[in-house]
Amino acid sequence: MTLYALCFSLFLVGLYGLLTKRDLIKIILSSGIMGYACNLMLVLFGYRNGGIYPILEKGRDAAPMVDPLPQALVLTSIVIELGVTALLAALAIRLFQKYGSYDITKIRRLSG
Amino acid sequence: MTNKTAGMTLIIKTVTRLLVGLILLYGIYIILHGHLSPGGGFGGGVVLALGLLAVLLAYGREETLKWLRLGLLKDVEQASPLIFLLVGLAGAVWGGAFLANILSKGKLFALLSSGLILPLNIVIGLKVGLSLFLVVLAMAEFDLDKGAEE
Repeated sequence: MTLYALCFSLFLVGLYGLLTKRDLIKIILSSGIMGYACNLMLVLFGYRNGGIYPILEKGRDAAPMVDPLPQALVLTSIVIELGVTALLAALAIRLFQKYGSYDITKIRRLSG
Repeated sequence: MTNKTAGMTLIIKTVTRLLVGLILLYGIYIILHGHLSPGGGFGGGVVLALGLLAVLLAYGREETLKWLRLGLLKDVEQASPLIFLLVGLAGAVWGGAFLANILSKGKLFALLSSGLILPLNIVIGLKVGLSLFLVVLAMAEFDLDKGAEE
């Protein structure tokens, strides 16, 4: 249970950064931290005490193993997060090109 | 080596020149052993992309583009989803379902023991590695005054 609480506090760290920081780069990093916390939570759901990694190898008998399904889902989630981060960085670059600043309080002109 | 504009110092360039082959080789190893050990197309592709990005960081954009053929990389990157689709359709035609196995499964724990998974891993590795490299290259090429050129 402590691990889940720590996961949630990591998520809250990301949320805090997302809500309070003014720098666009820090906001992108915060959204990344939130994503990592979610991934960690999902992998922890599949964990099992004393389990080994779910790969069959030569000379190893079947034994209790951790659940491979959340790991496969998290791999997909990491890929999507990579794409989202690249998109956010591209948007931040465009904004910097228009406004000359990463400060979101200076980015306030709505018409392009 | 004396002009300051292109890339980093001589030490970093030499180390990169020695290491980039090993990095790419490790990425290929991870891709090819994806069905036997942890790793696979995505992880190996990221290692490939990091090897190329090390060259980009150390040597600068012009030298890297002289070394790599950008058009070929873009073609391979854009063709790889099509290859994936064709392999899946081949499974649908001869195997009965999309992505069904049509190759021999071989012996357990051998390198060629996974049927279609090995070629699919290779395709995914190429796609991930090249697209990750091209994303960073596009962001590095982005001119803050003139905007995007592609």
